[in-house]
Formats: sequence, C-alpha cells, structure tokens
Amino acid sequence: MKSEQTRLPSFQSGIYQVWRRSFLLFRRFWLINVFWIVLEPLLVLLGIGYGLGSFIASMKGVSYLEFFFPALLCISSMMISFFEGAYGNFSKLTYQKLYSTMILTCVEPKQVVLGEILWAATKGTCSAITVGLIAAIFGHVDKLMFFPAIAVIFLSSFLFGALGMLVTSMVKNYDGIILPTSGLIVPMSLFCGTYFPLEQLPTLIKYLVYLFPLTHTVVLVRELFLNELGWVSGLTHLIVLLAMTYGLTRMAIHRIAQKLIQ
Amino acid sequence: MERRVIVEAKGLTKKYGDRLAVDKLQLEVYQGECFGILGPNGAGKSTLMKMLYGSSALSAGELFISGLNTKANPREVKARIGVLPQDEGLDLEFTVRDNLLLYSRYHGIDANVAVSRIEDLLKLMRLEDSSEQYVGVLSGGLKRRLGIARALLNYPDLLLMDEPTTGLDPQARLWIWNFLKKVKSEMGTIIITTHYMEEAEQICDRVAIMNRGQILAIGNPREMIKEKIGSNVVEIQLAKHELQYYLTRLSSQGFQYQVIRDQVNVYLANSAQVQSVLSLVGNLQVTTRPSSLSDVFLKVAGHDLRDEPS
Repeated sequence: MKSEQTRLPSFQSGIYQVWRRSFLLFRRFWLINVFWIVLEPLLVLLGIGYGLGSFIASMKGVSYLEFFFPALLCISSMMISFFEGAYGNFSKLTYQKLYSTMILTCVEPKQVVLGEILWAATKGTCSAITVGLIAAIFGHVDKLMFFPAIAVIFLSSFLFGALGMLVTSMVKNYDGIILPTSGLIVPMSLFCGTYFPLEQLPTLIKYLVYLFPLTHTVVLVRELFLNELGWVSGLTHLIVLLAMTYGLTRMAIHRIAQKLIQ
Repeated sequence: MERRVIVEAKGLTKKYGDRLAVDKLQLEVYQGECFGILGPNGAGKSTLMKMLYGSSALSAGELFISGLNTKANPREVKARIGVLPQDEGLDLEFTVRDNLLLYSRYHGIDANVAVSRIEDLLKLMRLEDSSEQYVGVLSGGLKRRLGIARALLNYPDLLLMDEPTTGLDPQARLWIWNFLKKVKSEMGTIIITTHYMEEAEQICDRVAIMNRGQILAIGNPREMIKEKIGSNVVEIQLAKHELQYYLTRLSSQGFQYQVIRDQVNVYLANSAQVQSVLSLVGNLQVTTRPSSLSDVFLKVAGHDLRDEPS
C-alpha cells in the first residue's frame, strides 16, 4: 500500500524548510532588509565610531573605533535576531495561525521553533558579516580573527532569536514586546561593555552585567578582534553563552509547543 | 466482509480545566466512508477534530488512525492525513502556487513529484487562474478551495475537514459540497464537521450527532431519520394556553412530538397519518413537510435554553 511506504522527512529537513520559507520572503524584500541590517549599523559606526570617537584619544589602550567596532557587530546582530524572533514571528503564531497549519504536516512544533530561531540567527549573522566586510575594506578587521568572531556572533544571534521567540510566546499583542525591548535589549546594548568598558560601572552593577548574555558576546568578540583572548576566559564565556542559548531555546520550544498543541 | 477501521477512539477525553469538551468517546470510522460530525456550537466537534489531527492532546483514552497510536506516532499519522482546519492558516505572504509548494516541502514530498501534484490539484480545485495571485486577495471561497488543495497534497488516506463551508457565501458553499459529492468515492475516508444538516444528509454515509462532548446518535442519516422521526413532520403553531390541550390529544392517539417554544413538531411514520393529525388539531395553522436530519438533531440533542433568544 502507498501509505505504508511513506518515508518521513528527516528532522533537519523540517527545520530547513521552515528556515527556507523565511529566507524566500527575505529574498523578495532584500532591499528593505539591507537598509535595516547593513545601513543602520554603518550609520552608527560613522556617527559614534568616527564622529564621537574622534574626540576620544584612546579606550583601554586602543582607539575608540577599535574598541567600539566589535561591540557594534554584537549589538546590531542582537537587535536584528531579537526583533526577527519577536516581531517577525508574533503574527505567524497568532493572527495568521501559520504555525498551527505548519504542524498539520510532518513538521513538529520543535522544528518550527528551531527553524525560526535559526533564521533569526542567520539574519543577525548576515548583518555582522556584511558590516564586517565593509569595515575590512577600511582596514578595521583582523582577517584571521574574523571567522571565530562570526561564529561567536552566530551563537549569540541564535540566543537572542530564541529570546525573541520566547517573548513572542508570552505576550498578548505587539505592545507586549516593548517591555522586554526597553527593559532588557536596549539596556544591554548600552551597558554590557559596549560603548564604554565595564570598569566604568559601579562595583555591584559591574558584576551584575555578567548575568546578561550580551556582556559575554562582547568580551569574546572584542578580545578576538584585539587578539587578547585567553583560553580560560574564552571557554568560560563560551560555556555561559552556550548554556544560556540551550536554556532559552528549550523554553521557547516548550512554550510554543504548548500553544500549538493544547 | 469486515470493513477496515481507519479511526478508532477508545474512551477519548478532553478536559479544559474542569470543563469536559470530549467525554469518554467511543468511535469507529471505516475506510472509504464519508463521516459527518454534527452538533451545536460547543458540542465538542472541533475539539474532537483537533484531537484527530493532532493539535489537541488527549486528556485520557486512546486514539488510533490507520492502526497507529496517535500519541506514540504523531508524525507517521500526520503523513497519512490531510487537514482543512477551521482557520485555513494560509500563508498570506505567498501566492497560491507557492503556498502549495511550501506545504509540499513541509510534507517532505520530492520536488519533481510536487510540481505535477500541484498542477493536478490546481486543476481539480479550479484554481488555475488564481495560481499566481497572493493569497490575501482571494475570495473566501477560493481560500477554502486552496485549503482543500493543500490538505490533498500528500495523497491522504484520511481527509479531515472542520466546517469546510462555514462563513462562505451560498455559491461558494454549493461549489464545495458538489465537489465533495463528486470526488468522495475517490478520496478515501473523509471526516467532516458541519452545521448544515441537509448537506450532511446528502453527502455523509454515516453521521454522529454530538452534544456536550458525547455522541448521542450515530448511523446512516436516512436510516436515522426513518427510525427516530419517520417520513413526515407536521409543525403546529400554538399559543401557550392551548398547548396542554393539544398535547394530550396527540398523546392519546399515540403520536410522537417535540415542543419547541410555541411550536409542536409531530413525527409521522408515514404520510398517510397526516390526515389524522390535521383532524385532531382542527383549523390551527399547520405545515406539513418531509422529515430531515435537523429533526433527528433536535430530538436527540434537545432544545436547550441556550438556544432561546433572550
């Protein structure tokens, strides 16, 4: 009989097809996306890095531009992945009921969530790669360290994509996304050792910021770019990021699955 | 010959908090039949449907589709079923053809097979002219047809349709019913939920009437009508103070009836009895009509307070 022979698609292929849907949509509106994921960070680089930076002689022994540029890649990839995971997916989960329909096929809730987070991570990483390549033309990027730095940014983007997806699973409407944005994402972009060194922060807060994932991303990426990263500190930050990513992804999967199969 | 059971539910139960949406339900659906689930809003039809297509977890009981336990093998089951949910959940960002293409990929259908399958389905559902249109601009009827095409992509053994005609204009509704009538013999097994009794009567081999999470009656619609109602129904309009008098007269003659507000429906085994009812009620306003599944429905599901206008 026909149905007895049906071979189920593999677990990865389900994830890939969910990812691919977002990619196809991205390809259609790529120009708008370029503004967001490439031009915006470049403008910040110009305004803060070159503009403001020219008034700062040095920061932690390097020029302000060298100090700030790695953090910029971390901030913009975080923003892009988080917003993609949150705003990008909220209507698919709720109004459009797209995920509810996807799981009527062989695709499971877990694959939907992983595919979407993977896409959010892809978009965030693409931004960092493009901005990094443009910066490389002006000689701001160590070519050898660029690759491990991008790997860290991919992990961090995955983490923030998962966080966005988790937020999507918890809020009742689009306004609900404002709270985690203003209360978590924006403060992280300002205080996690991005625009100025952590040493500037009051003692208590200096340690508190290590609870936030972006701090670890910035330390890793900056020290990779500046060739200052030690094995022990590198592995520690990496393990923290991996653990946070794992936890957030599991929570996002659990919550979305509960919404889809009641 | 023993017919192959394609859906088997044993003690199927769904609880939302304290509320029992589906209550220890037993059900067998056979291969090749078109099976209708009828019931008022809140009867548990859609919950049952969601359990069948795996979007609602079982609180208790067991459910087998094509012999597979839905709890243990959800993906294997989904590979064998086609689903038209109540909210079509079409992908508004893509065209009609791309919607089908996307879902063929979610099903893991080989790309070459998918292309020809999609052409066939576009033709079958008369969507050829709209194939390059974005889903957002389609009429309700076309959207529903696309939903059905999507449900058929994987050559399902079992097609599940939750209210396939609700919310459509009469033409679109008729199109879908005619389509189902035409193709049901080739489509394997179909399970459908609906409010439209006449259509269920025409198209379904068997129907189940549900209320409050339970199946109250199950069987072939025409046999059910014959057995529970008879061939004809006489509707009598009565004022409240006359009611008891006429009900006594009807009972004394052994007639079966049901009171629905100011109306009494008298059930007749054959049309020859019409005359004797008419002579009983004298010159009251009456309507005589053939019996229908709606009468069975009202008889077994009752006429609840919630159906009364406030």
